[in-house]
Amino acid sequence: MASFVPTREETLADLRRYTEDRLVEVACLDCLARVRVKKNSDHQTSVQWTGQSRSDCQEFQRRGEAPGGRDVHKPCPRLMASIDEAVRAGDVPIGAYDGY
Amino acid sequence: MTATPAAVVRSLDQGTTPIRFARGWHCLGLAADFADGKPHAVHGFGTKLVVWQDGEGELNALDGFCRHMGGDLTQGEVKGDHIACPFHDWRWGGDGKCKEIPYARRVPLRARTQRYETVVRNGQLLIWHDPEGSAADHDILPPELPDVMSDKYTPWSWHTKEINGSHCRELIDNVADMAHFYYVHFAFPTSFRNVFDGHTATQFMESKGRPDTSGGSGYGDENSMLKSVATYYGPAYMINWLEVDYKGFVTEVILINCHIPTGPESFTLQYGISVRKPEGLDDKTCAYIAERYTESFGDGFLQDVAIWENKVAVQNPLLCEEDGPVYQLRRWYEQFYVDVADVKPEMVDRFEFEVDTTKANEYWHAEVAENLAKRAAADAAAPADA
Repeated sequence: MASFVPTREETLADLRRYTEDRLVEVACLDCLARVRVKKNSDHQTSVQWTGQSRSDCQEFQRRGEAPGGRDVHKPCPRLMASIDEAVRAGDVPIGAYDGY
Repeated sequence: MTATPAAVVRSLDQGTTPIRFARGWHCLGLAADFADGKPHAVHGFGTKLVVWQDGEGELNALDGFCRHMGGDLTQGEVKGDHIACPFHDWRWGGDGKCKEIPYARRVPLRARTQRYETVVRNGQLLIWHDPEGSAADHDILPPELPDVMSDKYTPWSWHTKEINGSHCRELIDNVADMAHFYYVHFAFPTSFRNVFDGHTATQFMESKGRPDTSGGSGYGDENSMLKSVATYYGPAYMINWLEVDYKGFVTEVILINCHIPTGPESFTLQYGISVRKPEGLDDKTCAYIAERYTESFGDGFLQDVAIWENKVAVQNPLLCEEDGPVYQLRRWYEQFYVDVADVKPEMVDRFEFEVDTTKANEYWHAEVAENLAKRAAADAAAPADA
């Protein structure tokens, strides 16, 4: 089926590099959510959720029940604090490798 | 001697453009523009659609070509609730069935054409498109905008632009593109963040116009600071909530940015602006402000178009640390191009990305200061009366 899915091996390798490499698991200190995190610098953060962690997050559950739901786009402050804590503990390495 | 990795020349993978069109809700324009009892032609999804309002006031959308002999229904006539073909007067209903053939004893049972589910939301006509032919998913419609369409906001100022030679994914890529706001739209993006979640993709940005350019677009005016939240609801419809601080005067602007793919490498861009009327201003002044914003954000799109018209497609963008998550954004966008059964968890799983704008802004502020100094020196050297 025609789609954008890259077919070149080098492109697939890039796709894995940019989306999967060097992600480190971080557990929320307040709920069961476990996400994967990468930090290219002090101010840059990637957070990869799963369907499971998304439904484990109490904050998102609470917001999901509110009408409108525009807030769902905002991060969960508890998870963000947990990531900061993991970074302070040295569990999340900081720094990019050749741009990723 | 073998080449070191650094010596390997990187090639552009231009990929292949998908033949199919995205699944999801697509906006055709302002509902009121279709509600005049006449057939309207809309190019989309590799064909032409006919849109008309029936006697009940409902808007209907069908494939524009009669299943009898291929007549162009958009050049036909609305007769009662139906659209009549100009070729042999076959009458088609909004449910896609042929209702009447005035010269025939009976209508063939197989006389069914492609219909599109329609919804009017926020004064705009949306249709559901799915190559697999699924029923419309009303749970993923864009949200209703409270107070828009009331006298608290200016009426939609709506504009359309044909784009040729580019796939609409170029437009989507902007969601994750922090640095182009400086180079293409002449603004400093000071804060930039993305969240992709389910069928939505959001960009949070705060930006300030560059003082070394004459501005022009909605982003580039040096006197304005923007707080922008822009969310795609599905593949083709974005709501952009903008808070524009112009010399301390804050205006709330809602910008709709939507498109209809017309061919494998063309699409129709549509954008609309509605402005929350500032208190104490008369309607004429409010309308003027809305038109100014429409013009300036319209100019912003033209700045993008100039890039798209000349660039090539890239499947394998090479990124630096200051870039946004374009691979994850495209992974999200892919969900609309595969069968529902083939949607992978990673396409819809929530992903958050905060861009580090620190270094970029340090560099850009230095560059702008240099440009201003050059300009000042040139002004000083020029004769005073010039």
